[in-house]
Amino acid sequence: MTTTRVYITGIGIISPLGKGLAETKKAIKLNRTGIKPVTLFPVPHTPLPAGEIDFIPTGEVPRTHALALIAAKEALKDSKTPPDAIVLGSTTGGMPLTENLIKEKNLDPHLYRYHATGSVAEYIAKKTGCTGIVLTVSTACSSGSLAIKLGLELLRSGKVKTVLAGGADALCRLTYHGFNSLQLIDPNGARPLDQKRKGMSVSEGAAMLLLSAHNNPPENAFAEILGAGLSCDAYHPASPHPEGVGAAEAMKAALKDAGITQNDIDYINLHGTGTIDNDLSEAKALHSVFPDKLPYLSSTKGAFGHSLAAAGAIEAVISVISITENILPANTGCETPDPALKLTPVQSPIELKSNEGNVISTVLSNSFGFGGNNAAVIINKTDKYKQNPYQKLRSVFTVTGSACITGVGNTNETLNVLKNNGTCNGLVNIEHISEILPKSKIRRLKLLPKMVLSLASLAYEQSDKNIKPSSIYFGTGWGSLSETFDFLDKLYESGEQFPSPTDFIGSVHNAPAGQAAIWFDAKKANITATGGDFSFEQALICAELLTRNENEGVMLIGADEHHNVLSKILDESTALDSFPSDGGGALILTRSNNPGLKIIPSFLGYSINNKKIIHFLIQSLGGAARINELFGAVFAGIPAGRNSLAREQLAEFQSIISFNKPVIDYRKFTGEFASASAVATVLALQYVKEGAIPSLSGTEQCKLNGKGILLLGFGDFISTVEIQNQLG
Amino acid sequence: MNDFIAQLKKKIIKTLELEDITPDDLGDDDRLIGGELGLDSIDALELVMMIESDYGVKIDNKELGEKVFSSVRALADYIKKSKPEIAN
Repeated sequence: MTTTRVYITGIGIISPLGKGLAETKKAIKLNRTGIKPVTLFPVPHTPLPAGEIDFIPTGEVPRTHALALIAAKEALKDSKTPPDAIVLGSTTGGMPLTENLIKEKNLDPHLYRYHATGSVAEYIAKKTGCTGIVLTVSTACSSGSLAIKLGLELLRSGKVKTVLAGGADALCRLTYHGFNSLQLIDPNGARPLDQKRKGMSVSEGAAMLLLSAHNNPPENAFAEILGAGLSCDAYHPASPHPEGVGAAEAMKAALKDAGITQNDIDYINLHGTGTIDNDLSEAKALHSVFPDKLPYLSSTKGAFGHSLAAAGAIEAVISVISITENILPANTGCETPDPALKLTPVQSPIELKSNEGNVISTVLSNSFGFGGNNAAVIINKTDKYKQNPYQKLRSVFTVTGSACITGVGNTNETLNVLKNNGTCNGLVNIEHISEILPKSKIRRLKLLPKMVLSLASLAYEQSDKNIKPSSIYFGTGWGSLSETFDFLDKLYESGEQFPSPTDFIGSVHNAPAGQAAIWFDAKKANITATGGDFSFEQALICAELLTRNENEGVMLIGADEHHNVLSKILDESTALDSFPSDGGGALILTRSNNPGLKIIPSFLGYSINNKKIIHFLIQSLGGAARINELFGAVFAGIPAGRNSLAREQLAEFQSIISFNKPVIDYRKFTGEFASASAVATVLALQYVKEGAIPSLSGTEQCKLNGKGILLLGFGDFISTVEIQNQLG
Repeated sequence: MNDFIAQLKKKIIKTLELEDITPDDLGDDDRLIGGELGLDSIDALELVMMIESDYGVKIDNKELGEKVFSSVRALADYIKKSKPEIAN
């Protein structure tokens, strides 16, 4: 058991209500609203109200990146050193620029280099000098809160001392027209909890928190992150559970994590989007978690709008303001509370007088998103409560099942073809692969969600089935490209009038993981990591940070689809490969100590700012002797787009530790795609189990002599995943 | 009117890519959304787009949608009422 405490020691924010903490405080006190008709792009109807920041980025990066940097700089303004790690939530990434380029039919790959959601965190890492773990999560509207939860767990784990955590999303056609196609935008501006409410106001912004681990509160601490909880509805791709069951579970998990009861909460910053369904579902959840008495509560989305992945982080900042200023922010826009909700929101801002005993010490902030992803964060006045002791982090997982799909078929087909030909690249034959899925369940699904459901089913079928996965961790470099492209295509083809609601719902990066949750009724954490070529490894690290229960089954998936137009312009490595490929891998993991194959995520670091990263890597693996003793081969991930950098890094690694066993460049036989490492992991597990590696794309076959395989990812990041038959 | 209903059925099948369904499988008065076909609110929104794009008729809220999409006949009636020139 350990009791490290996590404090907020830096804050950065930009929203339609202003740039910086001071302006934000002022806007809250004056109950200003940042919602007005959209002007950022022309629309073919009366412009709907949205949260727009009066700001035009001047540099080369898209709007989301520019907003994120503004928030990051403010959060770090008093820091002398870069953050040890960065965790960022984003759903739009470079979409504000991408959608313009697609509209202009400009397919110059260089202009798309900041498209990936993961490129936002990478850009912040580069600009701040971070050399450590960088994670990007894309779980729709809960992303910002999830980033804070992951930051909290990274600090609790002792891996790092500081984390920059938050979220960023810019307003763009995709989100504006997407939510409008779902009839979820209120033409009068969001009126959360109001009886006449008709929907949200899509917004934009960024907020970053510098989180620091200490045993005692540092002088510059604004507040403490006391705990956070996650859950998944496993109910519907876009609608919340009507009874708010998942939302209630997230709040309960947060209270448990914080070690307090519902009676200790002084104020709740609601998710409160203003849609009919969300507010009703959240109200039911609140009544179930707070059966006796509800604390003060309000939704600030009537003033700030709904900035999607930034919302959770922005609302964490609002929660801090509530505590430090002793103020209850208003539920802007609500005139007559909906009697069906049985809630009494704070109608206008109330500055409490602490000398009368009215003190806001503990705030609960809710964030819920598409795919039924729920997160709740508890922020606390410094040191009001003792830190709840929590279990020490363990890195080891036992693998109880695995499967891959590649250009030549499922796991067995892949292994057989590899044995004979040494390669399995090519495009997944989705009709063949998804034959195992009932047609009625996949009617509306395109390529990536079909791949993910097929992988999940195959891995589960192959497992011992003793433990059903209750949490899903999904890594994807690019998300559902078919849905994204089709949405924009139909939008522009119809003069920006008739996009497909189905494609919008399918285009969110976490849509496939949401489908997998429904499939397995997996109601715990549902995480989608989008870190480019390291997405699968990032998903594994998220699982490491969030899974402590021995009985919990974890589904870990990595997959990417090839898209005829987008893949070549987005993914440099794919563009360099003459033979397009896609596919993925899935594993069922547990924390049990049973004998079997073990997988350990041991290192992730940003290499661009760190000339000594290979030394750090070797040190983190326990040194040359341990590496040589435990591993009979290396599977190296060398993305074609980073070939020279990656080969230098590999050569340095080999020379430092005098590694003379086979090094297998797996992208030579999987093909070039962001989740190739997921396929490589599944194959490596199989070879460790068999104790030998066949001849693969030019390498000699070799015996492992009971040793494991070390998966190394090279390029802009360095990652390691250890695979062993038993623990060394 | 029957011709219009037949035309609508074809459009519904095409819009929602209902591969295994023929117009004959869609009864004029069968429940369209939430019925045996397994169509749900997302399909309804997809049909909203098609109807506005092809007929210029808006169905812009959930309550109206629930009434209009109760059956193909109800949908045809609503379009006809909104734009009498279309269905004749």
